[in-house]
Amino acid sequence: MTPAPGNNPENNKYDVIVIGAGHNGLTTAAMLAKSGRKVVVLERRLIVGGLAAREEFHPGFYTDGILHDASLFDEKVIRELGLSYHGLTMTDCPPPIFAPQREGPGLLLHHDPVLAKSEIEKHSAGDATRYVEYRAFLDRVRPFFNRLLRSIPPDVAAGGWRDQLALASTGLTLRRLGRKDMMEVLRIGPMCVADWLNEWFETQLLSCLLAGPALTCSSTGPWSPATNAMLLRHEMLSGRTATGGSSSITDALRVSCEQLGVDLHTNATVKEVRITGGVIEGVTLQDSESFDAPIVAASCDPKTLFCSLIDGRHIPARLEDRMTHLRTLGTTVKVHLALGKPLRFACRPDLEIQHARIAESFDEMERAFDSTKYRHCATSPILDIAIPSISNPTLAPKDHHVVSILAHFAPYDLDGSWGNDARESFGDLVVNRLASYAVDLNDAIIAREVLTPLDIETRYGLTGGHLHHAEHGLDQMITRPVPECARYGTPIRGLYLCGSGSHPGGGITGLPGSLAAKTIIKAG
Amino acid sequence: MAKTYDAIIIGGGHNGLVCAAYLAKAGKSVLVLERSHVLGGAAVTEELHPGFHFSVCSYVVSLFRPHIIRELELAKHGMELIPLECSFLPLPDGDSLCRWSDSHRTRREIARFSAKDAETAPEFALAMTKMAQFFKQIIDSPAPDPTSLNPSEIMRLLRLTKQFRGLGPDLMYLNMQLMTMSALDFLDLWFESEVLKAPMSVSGIIGTFLGVRSPGTAYVLLHHYMGEIDGAFRSWGFSKGGTGRLSLAIAASAQAFGAEIRTESPVDHVMIQNGRAVGVVLPNGDEIRSKTVVSGLDPNRTFLKMVGEKNLDDEFLTKIKRYKLRGSSGKVNLAVDRLPEFSCRAGSEHLRGDIAICPGIDYLERAYDEAKYGDFSRRPYINMVVPSIVDPSVAPPGKHIISCFVQYAPYHIKEGAEHWPERREAFGDAVVDTLAEYVPGLKESILYRQVLTPWDLEQEFGLTEGNIFHGELSPEQLLFQRPTSGWARYRTPIRDLWLCGSGAHPGGGVMGAPGELAAKTMLTSGGI
Repeated sequence: MTPAPGNNPENNKYDVIVIGAGHNGLTTAAMLAKSGRKVVVLERRLIVGGLAAREEFHPGFYTDGILHDASLFDEKVIRELGLSYHGLTMTDCPPPIFAPQREGPGLLLHHDPVLAKSEIEKHSAGDATRYVEYRAFLDRVRPFFNRLLRSIPPDVAAGGWRDQLALASTGLTLRRLGRKDMMEVLRIGPMCVADWLNEWFETQLLSCLLAGPALTCSSTGPWSPATNAMLLRHEMLSGRTATGGSSSITDALRVSCEQLGVDLHTNATVKEVRITGGVIEGVTLQDSESFDAPIVAASCDPKTLFCSLIDGRHIPARLEDRMTHLRTLGTTVKVHLALGKPLRFACRPDLEIQHARIAESFDEMERAFDSTKYRHCATSPILDIAIPSISNPTLAPKDHHVVSILAHFAPYDLDGSWGNDARESFGDLVVNRLASYAVDLNDAIIAREVLTPLDIETRYGLTGGHLHHAEHGLDQMITRPVPECARYGTPIRGLYLCGSGSHPGGGITGLPGSLAAKTIIKAG
Repeated sequence: MAKTYDAIIIGGGHNGLVCAAYLAKAGKSVLVLERSHVLGGAAVTEELHPGFHFSVCSYVVSLFRPHIIRELELAKHGMELIPLECSFLPLPDGDSLCRWSDSHRTRREIARFSAKDAETAPEFALAMTKMAQFFKQIIDSPAPDPTSLNPSEIMRLLRLTKQFRGLGPDLMYLNMQLMTMSALDFLDLWFESEVLKAPMSVSGIIGTFLGVRSPGTAYVLLHHYMGEIDGAFRSWGFSKGGTGRLSLAIAASAQAFGAEIRTESPVDHVMIQNGRAVGVVLPNGDEIRSKTVVSGLDPNRTFLKMVGEKNLDDEFLTKIKRYKLRGSSGKVNLAVDRLPEFSCRAGSEHLRGDIAICPGIDYLERAYDEAKYGDFSRRPYINMVVPSIVDPSVAPPGKHIISCFVQYAPYHIKEGAEHWPERREAFGDAVVDTLAEYVPGLKESILYRQVLTPWDLEQEFGLTEGNIFHGELSPEQLLFQRPTSGWARYRTPIRDLWLCGSGAHPGGGVMGAPGELAAKTMLTSGGI
């Protein structure tokens, strides 16, 4: 990470400028550099990594990033960028997740149904059998979803034969599942996650545990239609997990970028993307330093790009209108705890847990969601918990731990605004809720950090504090974020999107970044 | 030897009657068996109080297909539609919004709340009408099957795709938004005033167990623009003499074509031999034979009661059992001794259409939230009409009928659905109390009150779980998946047993399309 090389225009000429050094920005930069392009990454913060950056939140205690699910990163990106040579190590499958209970033994769910069997049987023998079938079904339909999620989306509206062919070929992957599974995929996609999981399982604890990721950072509850599509999306993306956690992914990406000769500038806030005659010229930073390149790939959220970084007169009116209406209401509060001892749950005090989700019934989850409709915080939030210091002890001092909590739901546009009081009282609520399941939690807390959607917006520059850059609603997924920019390119020549606001959406996947890079390479 | 009919139709609802009429018109011998003493199913009109003729369940006609009116000569048989003239929204603060069939007048009303929305409204209506015209083809023909490899199916799909592409990118995208967004999110794209958005968004939730913020509710907004009377788009209407008169007109048409119709003739079950339907068995054990049996009942009732689990394979049975009905609405019908007077607007001109009690989005969401956790809404969404203003024949002079569609009233209340009778009057009170906030003298004017909970809709009208559409109109139960994937073409796994009710494509509402399409499919596919 070299400091900016002064205001020498010769030095500031690049083939590609990437805005934002999150996992997607770094992926795009590395891939383009690998294809022989001269690339610079401009990051407004002092560190790289975005939502997957290791950050000290209390002396000696580090977060593993805001998004702690490290099981989503695309294998192909790992291979293509040789990330395993840059320090990235992967487990074989997603780690088991624990669902604690107030009364009852809780449920430690392994991804592998054979390992999960005995645990599920404590609740229902039938569910243990059905979990085998559930996993088998997901494996059977995987080829279609892999195609859908891991390739550049076909242009539904374009009439060219190439697009038609791409569309037909996606259709064919669906057909190849066989009539029965194909019908099933078409049926279950638009369903609500509660209905579909209720068809499978009688143990709500199990269903809620599985449903959690479908609602992460969303404005939907388990009874909202189309949430099942988000469950399927998560199941299809989830795979081997980075042992060092989310930050180990961005660490490896950074090393890869550096070795490929990418210039990484931190503390470089883009003020304006310069455009002349509908064509990209470069960008100007807040400190008025400028960079020139015929191509700009923006991994910031699309609303920030189009509503703050580009002069409105360069944007077609329809696109501007769509961007204004893009739903980017954040609903997630992030809580980090520094603990003096490991987190243990009362229902299973002997169990060492890396991941847990707290929500015992769909009604409880739905009620948590209801509150956001009236711009209130949930009184019993859904907690998605990771203890990254178990697999990565460098995040905390010896025998100490870090707990990372994504708490839902707390709206960005809170009634009465997010002041200190609102932040801390929601922080208390989250801690108390966790404490009601944990052993002596309050005594173990050394420090805590609470980030409201407003804090997330301010710190990470995400409109509305939305961790997925834009709501994962079906309409915003099919042509993500809006039809004019659904395939990484935009109406402005040379301007590309490469962040979570693009297909296939949020999470530490590296997919929008790599697919955008492919698009740029294809375009020559 | 007793007569063997070409078709026996179970249920004399409007779809059963339409189906009967088409089959009879094609020269088939048809027998309709209706368990009630009146024809029409949920589209009936009854004199519940002396001189007051209530359209007990269905109270407006919107989507009834105009070509059915022509082909069955329903006008000749006494069908007459009176268009709704306006849509009125009273507000608790003493203000109100009335949308008239005259668009200039409407614009002036909307402009009081938002000048921008008044400008946008015509543009919105135009876009929606274009979309509705595209969708019309889908409701006027059997659902295309994207999973079929049959060349004619593929050709049809390609044709449809071509027409779809013909809409151009903007409308194609609009269509995609309609299929995926919530009614509210969709309206947010166009309008800013909640006073306008609230009453518009409710057409997305009528009869479903969803809220205006639930994804997938936007497309139902189109129904509002699909309503056709005599070929004119965007019109909803009353059936003169009550909705039952429409049913009687269809029945008269069917009879004129030679169909035989029996009321008070319940069917006990479908007679099945070697996997084929060969007739029906009556409760007294009598058998009536036929070449085909057509069920106008909902899929749950058809298969689990009329056919029986033992005659179905496991896979199909699973599909039928998970078919979602979950009724969410009730009806309250009132006979009143005077015209209801809204405190927020004098006169009666604005009462000649429908009246919506939905003063805001949060109001609607709170109503939904109560239902989600197993209770009826204390302050429900009410769609109310006073048909006696435009059709004085339904009430004695000077007196009126108030017919209220009420949502949410979930079938599955937390006490258990069978406890609805104990909650019935409390539910009725909630509705009357809500209305009385807008119509101060209402309570004193009530001569008679009928409260229909979802439980009553099930017990009295045979609608399983009180679902007025014979099944939730959610994407996984629509088009080629209605009622279940693989069986969306009116056929069933039992040979010679067909479906013709709202549980088949294109679904519920008084439109007659399932009955018509079932009959036409049977006739063209050699099923009869």
